[in-house]
Amino acid sequence: MTGRMAVIALNTFRESIREKLLYIVLIYAGILVLCTFVLSPLSVGAAKGKIITDVGLAGISLLGVLTVIVAGSSLVHKEIEKKAVFMVVTRPVSRQEYLVGKFAGVVMALGLLMLAMAAVMTAMILWGNGKVNIPVLSAVYLSMLEMAVISAVVIFFSTFTTPVLTSFFAVCIFVAGSLSGDLRAFASRFGGPAVRHLTEFLYYVLPNIRVFNLRNEAVHDLRFNGGDIALATLYAAAYCGVVLYFAYLVFRRREFS
Amino acid sequence: MDALAVDGITKTYRGDLSKGAREVLRGVSFFAGEGEILGFLGSNGAGKTTTIKIVLGLVRPDSGGVSIFGRKAGSRGALARIGYLPENPWFFPHLSLGEFLDYCGRMSGLTGKILSSRCEEVMPLVGLERSSRQKLKSFSKGMLQRAGLAQAILHDPDLLILDEPFSGLDPLGRKMVRDILLDLKRKGKTIFFSSHILPDMESLCDRACIIRGGVVVRSVSLDDIFRIGEGKVEITARGCGAAEIKALDDYIDSAGMKGDEAFITVKKQEYVRTVVRHLYNKGAEILRIVNQHRTLEDIFIGEIAGAPAQAKNGADRPEKEPLCGSGAKEAGI
Ligand SMILES: Nc1ncnc2c1ncn2[C@@H]1O[C@H](COP(=O)(O)OP(=O)(O)O)[C@@H](O)[C@H]1O
Ligand SMILES: [Mg+2]
Repeated sequence: MTGRMAVIALNTFRESIREKLLYIVLIYAGILVLCTFVLSPLSVGAAKGKIITDVGLAGISLLGVLTVIVAGSSLVHKEIEKKAVFMVVTRPVSRQEYLVGKFAGVVMALGLLMLAMAAVMTAMILWGNGKVNIPVLSAVYLSMLEMAVISAVVIFFSTFTTPVLTSFFAVCIFVAGSLSGDLRAFASRFGGPAVRHLTEFLYYVLPNIRVFNLRNEAVHDLRFNGGDIALATLYAAAYCGVVLYFAYLVFRRREFS
Repeated sequence: MDALAVDGITKTYRGDLSKGAREVLRGVSFFAGEGEILGFLGSNGAGKTTTIKIVLGLVRPDSGGVSIFGRKAGSRGALARIGYLPENPWFFPHLSLGEFLDYCGRMSGLTGKILSSRCEEVMPLVGLERSSRQKLKSFSKGMLQRAGLAQAILHDPDLLILDEPFSGLDPLGRKMVRDILLDLKRKGKTIFFSSHILPDMESLCDRACIIRGGVVVRSVSLDDIFRIGEGKVEITARGCGAAEIKALDDYIDSAGMKGDEAFITVKKQEYVRTVVRHLYNKGAEILRIVNQHRTLEDIFIGEIAGAPAQAKNGADRPEKEPLCGSGAKEAGI
């Protein structure tokens, strides 16, 4: 990361904090408290703690992705639309530096938000006499990778389309990416060759969201393979790198008229 | 080497479903020598902003080229030497002025002590020293314009490109901008600015390019306009009657009386001596002798109202044009 990238990242981070992004953690805490009081009386013993873990982890993943889709698309787009980007691209800053800086800033802000949510969840679990184990922490970490991948996708679309369409495409990609594994498995059994090729193609092009889901293992404290975490990290890094590269190819040619 | 050379750029904005393609620039050429203040004059929609965006590499021309100190438009080397003030600037509303300048400075490669001292220097220069902690979202239009100028000169660029630098400013603000620009010129900087406000142009520029319908139709040197003796001369005298004036018919263009003062427009510089002597001999009192020159406004309006624009190679060194007409500048007696 160059100095200029870091400066752009910090500015983006500062902007999202000043846009009161962290307030989302309050919404999250509200949901968790509500779930504890509504759902917990229905269950007994160990299941109590599991509910908080279950809802807590799902909430972190979902709110992380939703926030990055909504806030991320506006963070980049607003600057381009309102000409603030002129202040950057008319200085000796490469467009690559701009995009990577933006990406890093968004990921930093969202990362902080997700850590805050994780802290709330941890407090709630401990309060309910549950325990916070390695799988739970790993699940949070994977959700952050998932958020980073979606934020790269958001930045890619932001370089050439409107915030609304950016959000729409990003949601589609997230949903399709969550299903692509299932679809491929389904098609390989029942589909014709054309369908098989299509699902195969989608499986490799769309982000494989499944890789970032360790929630089942976390809730039930199941064994999991530590190597998978490392692989997921590599996968996320590679995916972000490729998507940001495509974003650069578009952005490099972009006119600001 | 010229600080800025624009050579035959053309640009057509591609249309979309709602509107057709639009030919905005049809071969714009001009240059700005080092240390020169070049004005870019044109009505709304003439293509000034589009040209400026092409110079900065924000927009790509369809054909033609731009060179900035010999480098390509939009290249890192070119951008490093440019300070740019966009039209109707809009900046990061979440930042305070101080943070904004710090950010801009870092983007231009300034750091540490130099950065902070430059920020401290430019804020008073644009009259915003007391707003350094104020958020940009609470700035008025004029304050944004000043902040825009501050960021443009922050890194001490060799070429300033200003799109409508006077818009939104009060008279004091305009004088401030003028003073800043003249000071930068003294330091050898090159300044290229667009405007449709003629007095601003006249009081600052060494030369002005007039753009109309996407073509540079005229490039004039302001010295030429103001050169004494090219135009007519108006003499004001007291205590002479219609008969004395009538006797001067061969030498004067027009004459009028207002109270006991006569306003006499002499046809040529050479006749001034004759006319003055005649009036003096008749016992009239000479009050003023004013050299009339053509203003930029006359030229501008002439160009705008003139024949359909034709591509003219504005990159040629400006020709000396015979300039005459109305408008006044003290010639001194
Ligand atoms: N992005 C754009 N798409 C289509 N037409 C544009 C665009 N930007 C400017 N124009 C048109 O180009 C012409 C010149 O605009 P501009 O360069 O902004 O003029 P000026 O700055 O001299 O007022 C105008 O007719 C304007 O409508
Ligand atoms: Mg304009």
